[in-house]
Formats: sequence, structure tokens, C-alpha cells
Amino acid sequence: MAIDSYRFLDFASRQVMKAWAARAHEPGAIPFTPLAKPLRECTVALVSTAGVARNDDRPFDQEGERRNPWWGDPSFRVIPLGTTERDVRLYHMHIDPRFGESDLDVVLPMRRLAELAGEGLVGRPAPTHYSTMGYILEPKELVETTAPAIAGLMRAEGVDAAALVPA
Amino acid sequence: MGLVQRVLEASGIATVTLSWIPDLTRAVGVPRLAGIGYPPGRPMGRPHDPDGQRAVLRATLELLATATGPDTYVELPFEWPESPAQAWKACQGVAPPIVGLLKKKPWLVANLYSGKIPHDTEP
Repeated sequence: MAIDSYRFLDFASRQVMKAWAARAHEPGAIPFTPLAKPLRECTVALVSTAGVARNDDRPFDQEGERRNPWWGDPSFRVIPLGTTERDVRLYHMHIDPRFGESDLDVVLPMRRLAELAGEGLVGRPAPTHYSTMGYILEPKELVETTAPAIAGLMRAEGVDAAALVPA
Repeated sequence: MGLVQRVLEASGIATVTLSWIPDLTRAVGVPRLAGIGYPPGRPMGRPHDPDGQRAVLRATLELLATATGPDTYVELPFEWPESPAQAWKACQGVAPPIVGLLKKKPWLVANLYSGKIPHDTEP
């Protein structure tokens, strides 16, 4: 691949991420769900790992990670369409939150998605979008609880397709 | 994020990940992946650049329709306008707790590499 995945990382982070990539393989076949209808008719939801939480919602647990730096908050937050940078904070402590807090579309592009729906690329943005927090070293709860909960909420809103955006 | 993607896909939702670290995301094994050479924290592009962000999202979403099987990987042609040093300098005050811990106890970095997470260590 031509893209250097590690180009923007410092030396230590680069070595750690390479080690993770070397042993990341999940057992079993890779799931694949073909699009059920043309993209221009699909309801699309977004997921960000930037640790986005609305100001009227519970923050991601930064204090818990400070107490135990091996732990990251594996829960998720719902972000209704129309939420902007004025309504949220970013709680992921491994990235600079100022970029997403000055323009939420940098990490959770709900306005861009609505524009692309207006252009006819997709049918419509889902009423609800989602954020997790990306620093999870032990993903058991993320995989067994958080992801299925997000899937259930998406299905309840008739979501056909989702774009995931690691931060 | 690749793990979440797999769960959503298996539940019947077509998914695509836009990753600035596609090497790691692809290693997990995901259905559709768009790689981008952007720095962490700014996966869609620069703040207040709606045209650039829209181009990235459009290219990502198109993969939903064009992929015909799992492990579809496309590298997006967008280039970040800054050098790594400039992009790094633009990030201020990022101090993950794990970095502070490893400065105090550098031998624990082996656990970070191996994924053997200690459960009995006080920071």
C-alpha cells in the first residue's frame, strides 16, 4: 500500500501500532453485507471514535482512564443529527480535541452527509449518529455490549449503511 | 473500530471505515476500508474546509456501492497539506495517561506491545 499508516505518529506510537497490526487478525470469515438497495436510496449513519458526547449527556470517563491508564471507556453516546460543535465536547485523550471541537465535521461529518444526501449520493442521513472512544485496549465490552447496542439502534431507525470514522 | 465495524456488518448493515491507519484497520479484517493519509484527530480533513471534507466523505461512501466482497481496500488520493512535523506541532497538550505511566515505569511498554494488559498495577 502506498499510504504510510504511521507517517504522522511519533516513534513510540508507531512501534506500538505496528505491533498491534501484526497480531490484530480476528478469527473467522470477514462479514459482508451487500447494499440492499441503491446507495441513493440508503439511510446512512456515522460512527466516530473521537469520544464525542453532548454537553447535556454523560461525558466519557476520563477520570477512570487517569486512575487506570490501561483502561478506556468502552461505552457509546448517541449524537442526534443537527448536533454541532457548540453542543459537544471530545473526550478522547489521545488526540487533540480542538480540531473536532472547532468543527465537528472533522470527526463526525453529519453536515457533509446531509449535503451529499441533498446531492442525491445517499438517500438520507439517519436521525441518530454515534460516538465511541477509540482508546480501548481490551475490547470485550466494546464488541459484546456497545457494538450490538449501536447495531440495534441503527436497525430500529432503518439504517441501511454506516460509515465509521476512527479519530 | 474495525471490531465495531464487523459487528455492525454481521447484523445486516453495510459498513465502510475511513481510516488514517489503514494498516491496522485492515489487519483486523473488515468488509470495506478507505485509507487516507491524514493525521490523527483530523480524519475528514482540516476544520472549516467543507469542500475537502465532502470530497473525502463522498469517496468513502462510494465504496459502499462499489465493493463486491469483504476486505475491499481503496486508498483515497487526498494529500495532507502539512509535513508530519507541522501536523504534530499543531497538536497541543495531548498527554494520554498511558504515556505518563510508561515514563515512570518504562518496562511496562512490553505489555502495551503484547496486549497483555496488567490488572494489578497501580499507576
